[in-house]
Amino acid sequence: MRYAADRILSLLLLGLAAFIAVQAWHLEVPFSYDPVGPKAFPLLLAGLLALLAVVLFVRPGPSGEWPSGALLLRLLVVMGLLVVYAALFIEAGYLLITALVSVAIAWLFGASPLKALVGGVLLALGSYLLFTYALGISLPTGSWIEPLLGAN
Amino acid sequence: MFDFLIQGFGVALTPLNLGLAFLGALLGTLFGALPGIGPINGIAILMPLAYTLGLPAESSLILLAGIYTGSEYGGRMSSILLNVPGDAGAVMTTLDGHPLAKKGLAGPALGLSAVSSFIGATVAILGLTLFAPLLAIVAVKFGPAEFFALMIFAFASMSAMMGKDPLKTLIGAVLGVLISTVGVDSGTGVLRFTFDMPELYDGIDFVVMIIGLFAVSEILLMLEHAFRHDQDGEMAPIGRVMVKMSEVLYCKWAILRSSVIGFVIGVLPGTGASVASAVAYTTEKRISDHDNSFGTGNMRGLAAPEAANNASAAGSFVPMLTLGIPGSGTTAILLGALMLYNINPGPMMFREQPMVVGGLIASLYIGNVMLLLLNLPLAGVFARVLQVPRWLLVPSVAILAFVGVYQLHSDLMAIYLMLAIGVFGYLLRKFGFSLAPVVLGFVLGGLMEENLRRALSISGGDLAILWQSGLSIGLWIAAAAVAFIPLFAGRLKAKFLPARSA
Repeated sequence: MRYAADRILSLLLLGLAAFIAVQAWHLEVPFSYDPVGPKAFPLLLAGLLALLAVVLFVRPGPSGEWPSGALLLRLLVVMGLLVVYAALFIEAGYLLITALVSVAIAWLFGASPLKALVGGVLLALGSYLLFTYALGISLPTGSWIEPLLGAN
Repeated sequence: MFDFLIQGFGVALTPLNLGLAFLGALLGTLFGALPGIGPINGIAILMPLAYTLGLPAESSLILLAGIYTGSEYGGRMSSILLNVPGDAGAVMTTLDGHPLAKKGLAGPALGLSAVSSFIGATVAILGLTLFAPLLAIVAVKFGPAEFFALMIFAFASMSAMMGKDPLKTLIGAVLGVLISTVGVDSGTGVLRFTFDMPELYDGIDFVVMIIGLFAVSEILLMLEHAFRHDQDGEMAPIGRVMVKMSEVLYCKWAILRSSVIGFVIGVLPGTGASVASAVAYTTEKRISDHDNSFGTGNMRGLAAPEAANNASAAGSFVPMLTLGIPGSGTTAILLGALMLYNINPGPMMFREQPMVVGGLIASLYIGNVMLLLLNLPLAGVFARVLQVPRWLLVPSVAILAFVGVYQLHSDLMAIYLMLAIGVFGYLLRKFGFSLAPVVLGFVLGGLMEENLRRALSISGGDLAILWQSGLSIGLWIAAAAVAFIPLFAGRLKAKFLPARSA
């Protein structure tokens, strides 16, 4: 088990190298004056990667600490939150979704609910003002707010 | 010969650029001081800012270089006060810096490290001013074959010198180069590895890549740290803020020696602050540690890595500005930033872009003075940044990452891609990779292939062109030498220094 991580990594890299090689091999090259073409360089790299992967399999280093249980769950939750942040960034509008996501992340990182609420809301407001007025970045208002603001 | 510098000061002394150098120094120090955010993360997170402001190339480079050198200053604070190095380059600073802080000398330790950083950077910037034009003259002789050999040399010296694991450094570099092949092939117009996604036709965007790789993966790592409670010790009180002249004089030779060591190591392509500070520290320990007090709070043990650290930061600009080969992961990011302005890095940059190069070098002089003036009296103020709680810091990093990518692309695909790259970066770090080789490979990959193909189309496909000139043969030999020397050096060390290994 001590070397499991590097061994798994080595197999993944071998798979990647094979995938790249197959993909590169099937590139259709129209006539050109370039003696090398687009295939050679990726094929060369795939070969090098495969070679290095084999060396890694033979001489693996000790595996580090990998997250499991509650920590893994938290990592997935944070990643999920970021995906939600991305998905709703334009729809919900910057202010609302930033506040929600900030509050949730702050809470996940161990802030008390009150602190998380106040901190997250202030962060969203403060960053909105900074980006819009100091840096002139236009951030999404949110499609549900626009009708409320009237036509403009 | 030094026309470029005079011209450069003309650029750097305009009010806008002076202001940007100051802003960069300030932001850099603040970001470098934030817990867990080292120089390379700081610059990755703040990079989009330079584009947001709509600055010309030389101005945004001045801002970014200010952030870079500033964050090297800021990074030492968590090393000294909390015993938590912000990045690999700051590990050596903790060895004597933190014991000093525990003795109640936190203030003088911060002051001394500011002074040594200043001297180290000054020595290196002078070296940069002297050597860069000389190297640029040689660089003009570089053809595509020599350039290709030079990049092989850069990767070889990086894998030999950087990180504890040369194998993973190489794998990381190959992965980076592979990522750079995504998109339209410039030679033939063929689409490579785009999987029918139009967003990938132009290749993976540099900003998306950097922010994903560093900022997003950092969020996940910070969650782990917070969960395991494996840092955040008590912060030592600052105490007396100013360092005494006698303390600086006590360290003067340590500082000067280490500055030169740092500069030389910084100039080598691919090796950066972590190697420089380690070599400087061990050298200084050998030379001046008479009473075995290194590691228990010896001022020289703090001054040496700090001077070397900053000297190598400035030194790594030499290969970047003259050859277009970054000397470190951070300069790779700066180089990538330049490429977004359609400035082709490479041997001709010094000739073609004297405004950019000269302006940058001049702003390094100015920024260095500003940093000393900021850091000496205000160390206590900056130290407060260390106490920013993680639950506030993490959402801020997320916000900066999202807004940074959004304002460049206004496109959700780019944000999803950033998140995917973030997971990739997190996995790499968990597998024990350092990210700098990946960035270096990503930035250099396109140039590498282009030069290889250009060389081979000159020779009509004959590979021999790659080792026909004296220059390229020399570079191949140098690459082989740096790749194999560490193997022997390891054995020599084991033979002669068995007692010192502790």
